[in-house]
Amino acid sequence: MPSDAIQPILSLRGIHKSFGGVQALTDVSLDLYSGEVVALVGDNGAGKTTLIKSMAGVIRADKGQFFFEGNEVTLSGPAAASDLGIQTVYQDLALCNNLDAVQNIFLGRELTGPWWSGFRVRRADCERKAHEVLQRLRLSGISLTRNVGAMSGGQRQNIAIARSILWQPKVVLLDEPTAALSHTAAEAVGKLIRELASHGLAVLVISHDIHQFVIDVTDRIEVLRLGRKVASFASKQVTGEQVVSAMVGGNEEPAGAR
Amino acid sequence: METPSTTQDSAHPAAVDQRRSFGERLSSDLRLLPVAAGLIVLFVFFATQSDVFLTSRNLNNLLVQSTVTGIVALGLVFVLLVGEIDLSVAATSGVASVLMSKLVIDAGMPVPAAVALGTLSGVVIGAASGRWVTLMGVPSFVVTLGVGLVLNGIQLVLLPRTGRYNLLNSGVEKIAATNIAGASAWALLIIGLILFAAVRLSTLAARRRAGLTASAVQIIVLPLVIVGGLGTATLLILAQRNGLPMPLILYIGILGVTGYVTTETRFGLYLYAIGNNIEAARRSGIKVERIKITAFAITGGLSAFAGILAASRILGVSVSSGGGIGGGALLLESIAAAVIGGVSLFGGRGRVTGALFGALIIATVSNGLNLMGVANEARLIVTGLLLVIAVSVDRTIEKLAGGAQG
Repeated sequence: MPSDAIQPILSLRGIHKSFGGVQALTDVSLDLYSGEVVALVGDNGAGKTTLIKSMAGVIRADKGQFFFEGNEVTLSGPAAASDLGIQTVYQDLALCNNLDAVQNIFLGRELTGPWWSGFRVRRADCERKAHEVLQRLRLSGISLTRNVGAMSGGQRQNIAIARSILWQPKVVLLDEPTAALSHTAAEAVGKLIRELASHGLAVLVISHDIHQFVIDVTDRIEVLRLGRKVASFASKQVTGEQVVSAMVGGNEEPAGAR
Repeated sequence: METPSTTQDSAHPAAVDQRRSFGERLSSDLRLLPVAAGLIVLFVFFATQSDVFLTSRNLNNLLVQSTVTGIVALGLVFVLLVGEIDLSVAATSGVASVLMSKLVIDAGMPVPAAVALGTLSGVVIGAASGRWVTLMGVPSFVVTLGVGLVLNGIQLVLLPRTGRYNLLNSGVEKIAATNIAGASAWALLIIGLILFAAVRLSTLAARRRAGLTASAVQIIVLPLVIVGGLGTATLLILAQRNGLPMPLILYIGILGVTGYVTTETRFGLYLYAIGNNIEAARRSGIKVERIKITAFAITGGLSAFAGILAASRILGVSVSSGGGIGGGALLLESIAAAVIGGVSLFGGRGRVTGALFGALIIATVSNGLNLMGVANEARLIVTGLLLVIAVSVDRTIEKLAGGAQG
């Protein structure tokens, strides 16, 4: 757990967001630190996805401030967020099934030759770099040249994550990375998420898998309920029951290590 | 936590690929195998049915017959890859050929300029259809159906009262009538092979530089032997007559360029990405609309050029140029050629070489049945059945490959 002396990479202060008459987020504040994995948990409709989308620049908060490395920033769009170094992996992964891992990892950001080559994709360079990224994440079991449509859910999730870190972001937001995965595949994704943190990234992950995934993989658990942050736990010092209880509103203590 | 990924840290990526099933390979590297096999079966069948089939003269005819449909089918690959369709390809070819003829006959324009303008008209028509489809979000088959009818009307307007432009002695007929024979033909083949080898060689060199597995046999020798073998065989067969017919040379040239564009360039990659998952492509920052419009423009341009080639071959244009009202056989056969060659109507799958094989199969059936003295109605029935068989084979391969939702 980082000490208070360390500056957070990304800080949210007093975020409000409503859709029509529905208050989706009310006064939510959150700090993400380099090298730390934070779980964002809550019941359906608690505001998890709204919060992650506001951090990804997909939706604009009505009120509140964002600080990136201590400077106030406006997340005016997805491009602004990704320029700062905030990458998001959505639940649908956004992979092209007819392309291989290398092509998916580089999609939209291919290394290409000069104009007279018709912007020929520098396949070998892309492949080497993709190989390096996967090695760094200890994912070398993934075939680089096989169409991702023929791969397992866990491998696809891992490729989507590898893709998000290609240009060295500082913050990675993951929306339900283990939702459709088997236990073993979810464990492998958990390992990968720890690997990201060990490389100094700040990771925020939405998950419903409290007992298996959240407690084991994350450092800190932030609980949202009805758009408010109701609890914050250090993952090592909490049981699954305590977290679930905070999610559903049985025991409302603003607990936490900080 | 024992997953394969933890135990294969040092394994080379190539080692992982060994696990691919035959079905999966059939859907990717070996995609052309069933089509090529089908073509060989047809060749053997017709060779046993007709003494004339394998003669140089007949094969020359067969190849030239396949070029117009083949070039339109190559063009269609571009729109099909992005998950769209262009039903105005035949009408575009008709209008472009009539426009070109009008420019030559009525305006006295030099042939090369008229050919260029005619082709350009197809590019503009295609781009306009594409712009409309992407702007309004309407299905391309409806838009291009309408555009096709509009173009049929324009074609009638452009034609003179006689309903026909005669292109004999206009200079246009020389395009299709030219044959390259002897040393020049061999030189052409060698230049083509050198270009092909250069692309493959740069792939090999880049892989070596990047420290990746790179087998010279797989990347250069094998493809070069296949392409060189086919080229030499074609040349040897046709050399007995007049040499290489110009339409065939142009066709193969276009095939080479479109093959390079679709498999090697960033634009080509984006065609496949958009066809499979347009939302993913958009989120990756790909300018989806621009790519789609470009695809339509290429389809239009190639269709127009094919129409001009057809006009040059049959020495004139008329109401029935471009397959007549509604597109007729040219439209249906060019779509069939692409689909028989394994190009998916739902986007994201298929190759230009597939369209080549598809066009060859259609031309072979037509030519072979003709030689056997079978009536036209039987030819239609056989082509139709082939189309149904081809998509069914395609579907089966997809299932074998498993998981590929594309």
